[in-house]
Amino acid sequence: MFQGRIIDTKLRKLSIQDAEKFIASSDFGASIFFSGTVRNQNDNKSVIGITYDTHDALVIQSFEEIYNEANEKLEIKNKAVFIDHAKGYLNLGEISIIIAVATKHREEAYKLSRYIIEEIKKRSPIWKKEHYQNSESNWLKGNPLVNEKN
Amino acid sequence: MKVKIELFGATRDFSDQNILELSLNNDSTIKDARIEIIKYLKKNFDGNKDFVRIVNTSAFSSENNNIVSDNYKIKNNEKIAIIPPIGGG
Repeated sequence: MFQGRIIDTKLRKLSIQDAEKFIASSDFGASIFFSGTVRNQNDNKSVIGITYDTHDALVIQSFEEIYNEANEKLEIKNKAVFIDHAKGYLNLGEISIIIAVATKHREEAYKLSRYIIEEIKKRSPIWKKEHYQNSESNWLKGNPLVNEKN
Repeated sequence: MKVKIELFGATRDFSDQNILELSLNNDSTIKDARIEIIKYLKKNFDGNKDFVRIVNTSAFSSENNNIVSDNYKIKNNEKIAIIPPIGGG
């Protein structure tokens, strides 16, 4: 069971309640909610907000691939996964990503949650532009995408 | 032939339009498009080294959302996306 979405922050905020509703099931005994939020410092600069940019189609595709890979790589077949990622401007403390997973047992849930966030960092075309107290802003450098299929 | 390059992340600073329109020879590849974008940056941004580095480390996506290699042959009027180094979450 999977749901992955890009949420336009001009239209609404990311919601843990949405995640809870999606993964709720008596099939599962363990659930983990991971959220990423905008923090006020990076590289000794005072951050006041972040603009997130996304290639929507490729991001959703990458979420689906990561979910499907968990069947083989982690051998976790019975699971619920909910991923929301923000697109647009966020203030300090606002949620940029929610990953909610539910599995039969806690060990699988921890493994799966960690796997998903690490793979998103490596593979999902998402970019951050930080905005600073001195009115400057800067796109963060990031890591090159290497997943070429031809 | 005409090709549109859709800009994302740091490459959005290359143009106010969020898109670059390039004229390329028929049968051009991603490698040719990359060279053409760098020529555009030399002309419009005095070869800004950070911008050129970003282009050289970017991936590209075809119009049907596949990440493609430098050998991919671009179709006339195809909209290609440039995927600069990523980092979400």
